[in-house]
Amino acid sequence: MNSGVEQMLLTRRVVVCVGCGGVGKTTTSAALGVAAARLGRRTLVLTIDPAKRLADALGLEGLGAEPTALPREVLARAGVAGSGELSAMMLDMKSTFDGLVERFAKTEAERQRILENPIYEHVSDALAGSAEYSAMEKVFELSQSDAFDLIVLDTPPSQHALDFLEAPARLMAFLDSSVVQLLLHPAFAAGRTGFRWFQRGAARVLQTIERVSGVGFLEDISEFLLAFEGMSEGFQARAREVQALLFGPETGFVLAAGPGTEATAQAADLLRRLDATGARLEGVILNRVLLWPGRAPDLELLGGPGRPALAEALRAGPRAPEAADAAVDLARRFAEGVRRDAASAATLAKRAEHAGAFLRKILEFDRDISDLDALATMADLLVQTEALES
Amino acid sequence: MTGKGGTGKSSVTAALGVAAARTGRRVLLIETGRDEVLPRLLGSKQTAGYAGCELQPGLRAMRLDPYEALAEYLSLQLGLRRLVRGVLGNKGFRELLDAAPGWRELITLGTVWHLEQQTHPAGGPLYDLIVVDAPATGHGLTLLDVPRVVAAAVRAGPLRRNAERVEAMLRDPDATVLLPVALPEELPARETAELVVRVRDGIGIPVDRVVVNAMPAPPFPVGLEKLDERLAAIPPTTKIPGLPEPGVLARCARHFAERHALASEYFERVGAWTQLPTVPLPLLPGGVETREDIERLARALVSEEGQAT
Repeated sequence: MNSGVEQMLLTRRVVVCVGCGGVGKTTTSAALGVAAARLGRRTLVLTIDPAKRLADALGLEGLGAEPTALPREVLARAGVAGSGELSAMMLDMKSTFDGLVERFAKTEAERQRILENPIYEHVSDALAGSAEYSAMEKVFELSQSDAFDLIVLDTPPSQHALDFLEAPARLMAFLDSSVVQLLLHPAFAAGRTGFRWFQRGAARVLQTIERVSGVGFLEDISEFLLAFEGMSEGFQARAREVQALLFGPETGFVLAAGPGTEATAQAADLLRRLDATGARLEGVILNRVLLWPGRAPDLELLGGPGRPALAEALRAGPRAPEAADAAVDLARRFAEGVRRDAASAATLAKRAEHAGAFLRKILEFDRDISDLDALATMADLLVQTEALES
Repeated sequence: MTGKGGTGKSSVTAALGVAAARTGRRVLLIETGRDEVLPRLLGSKQTAGYAGCELQPGLRAMRLDPYEALAEYLSLQLGLRRLVRGVLGNKGFRELLDAAPGWRELITLGTVWHLEQQTHPAGGPLYDLIVVDAPATGHGLTLLDVPRVVAAAVRAGPLRRNAERVEAMLRDPDATVLLPVALPEELPARETAELVVRVRDGIGIPVDRVVVNAMPAPPFPVGLEKLDERLAAIPPTTKIPGLPEPGVLARCARHFAERHALASEYFERVGAWTQLPTVPLPLLPGGVETREDIERLARALVSEEGQAT
C-alpha cells in the first residue's frame, strides 16, 4: 500500500509546499523532490524564495532561472535509480515577465515599447508583488511542458505564504478595474493633464494620484498600461488558466510545520486560511519532532527515587551524585520536549484528518539537514508507510 | 530587524525595546506583520493597531498597516479627509492598490521616516529609538530596496522626493542600523551571511553586528563534560528503579551535547562569514512566550558576555 505521500507524488502534477518561516519548508520541498524522483518521476523543485537556500540543501553551487539537473551519480547517492530525475531552479521574476511579454506582444514595436518603459523595467525586476504572479506563471508554463512529470513549489515564508494563491485573481481584477481602464483610455495619453472624465470616481482617484505622486508618474504608468493593452487579453486568459491549474485536481498542497506552541498555532492558522481559499490540502509534514528513544517515560518518576542508584552506577567517574542529577535533568528536559511535540502533532493531526489529509512526523535529526545524504534520509521518512507513533 | 523566518525577530525586537527603555530612552516598536504579537509578548492585553499603545512609560508599540498609513499620508498631503475617504473607498482604487506593487513598502518606510521626524513637546525627538520588526529576509530586502527603485523609476515630484528622503535616512550611519537576527544552524547562518553582504554592499545600509538567537546552554555541569559517554558506559542490564534504561539516559544526554556542539560551531561561522561581532542570546527551553522571557533576553542583550542562562 502506498503512503499518502507516495500517492500524492505519483498522481499530482504540482505539489505546493506552504508554511511559516523556519519550519524547514525548503528542506521539505527538496526531500519531496528526492522522494518523487525515487518513484520514477521526472521532478523539478522550484523555489520562489529570493534567499537562495534550495541550492544549499541540494548541494548545488547555485541555482539559475533554468532547471539544473542533478547529475546521475549524485542522484544514485540519494537512492534515485531508474527513470527518476531531479532538477531544481530558482525563479527569476524578470525573465519570467519578459517571457510573458515576448509571448503576448503582437508586434516587435509593442514588445520594445514595454521592455523599455521605465516603470516596467523596475516593476518587473525589483518590486514585491510581481513575485507571486510570476511564480504561478512559471509553474503553469513548466506544467505545460513535457520535461517534467511533477513540479514541487517551495513558497515564500510566513504571511506571504498565501499571497501567490490570490495572485492570478488579483491580476485579473487589476486589469478589469475602472482606474486601469481609464488609464488605458487613449484620451488620457492624448490629453495628458486634463481630467474631463465621465467616470468621475475613477477620475478623482487619478487626480489624487497625480497630486501626491508628481507630474510624469501617471504618464509613465499610462504609457506602460497602454503598451500592455494589446496584451491584456492574453494576460487575462493566462491568469485564468493559472488559477484553474492551482485549484484543479492536478495540484496538491502540503503544509510544512514545526513543533512548539507558537509554531503549531501559526500552522493551524495557516491551515484555516488555506482552507478558505479552496486549495486542496494533501498533507501536513511536522518537522523536527522529538521521539522518546524507548518505553514512554513517567515524568513523575524522573523526579526522584532512581537517583541514588544512578549515582551508584556512575561512581567510577568524578562527582557521581551531581552527574546523576544532571543526567536525570536532561532526561526530563528531553521528555518535556517529547510531550510538547506530541501535543503539536495531536493538534495538527486533528486538523489534517478533518481535511482528509495525511500527517507525517519527521523526527529531529542529530545534525542539520543541509546536504544530500540528510535529504535522502528525510525522503525515507516521508514515504514510510507506517507513521511514526510515539 | 530582519532575518530568516523563525529566528525570533519579534522576540528580539521586544527585548531590545525593553533594554532601551530601561536606559531612559523613549522607544517606539513598529511591527509590520499581519498579526500583532509585540504587546502580548510584553505582557499587555492591549491591541496596539495603527494608533499604537503605551506598554510602559517610555515604550510604545504600533502595527504599521499600509492602508491606514496611506490614508494618513493622503490626508496630510491633500488636507481633505473626506476626499481621502472617498478615494480610498473607491472600489477601483482598492483593486488598483491590491494589485499595485511597491507602495506598501514605500509607505511603510515613509511612515517610519515621518515618525522619526516627530518632536517631543519638551524638546528633542519624540522617539529616541525606533525599532522596526521588518519582514523576513527575502521580503525584508525588497522592503529596504524599494526607495532606491522608486527614486530610479519616478522622474520628479513628491513621490520621488519621499523616496529620496527615506533612502537618505536608511543610508545614514548616524540614523539607521540594520540588526540581523540569526540562528546557530546551517541554513539561517548562510542566509544571514548573504543578507549582510546584500544589505551592506548592495543597498548601502549600515550593519554593525549580528544577533545569534536561541543559543543552547552548555549541556553538562563544568567538569562533567563526558556525561553522555559515562551514561553510555553503564552496563545495559543495570537496574535503576523508576528511571529509563541507561542507554536511553545516554541518548537524552547526547542529544543535548550534539545540539550544543552544532550550535557553537555555527555561532563561530556566523561571525566568520559576516566578519561582524556576534551577540548570543540564550535558547529558552520553554520558548519565548511571556514578558518574563523577554526580560531574560533583554538582560542577555546588554550583558557583557550576552549569554545569560
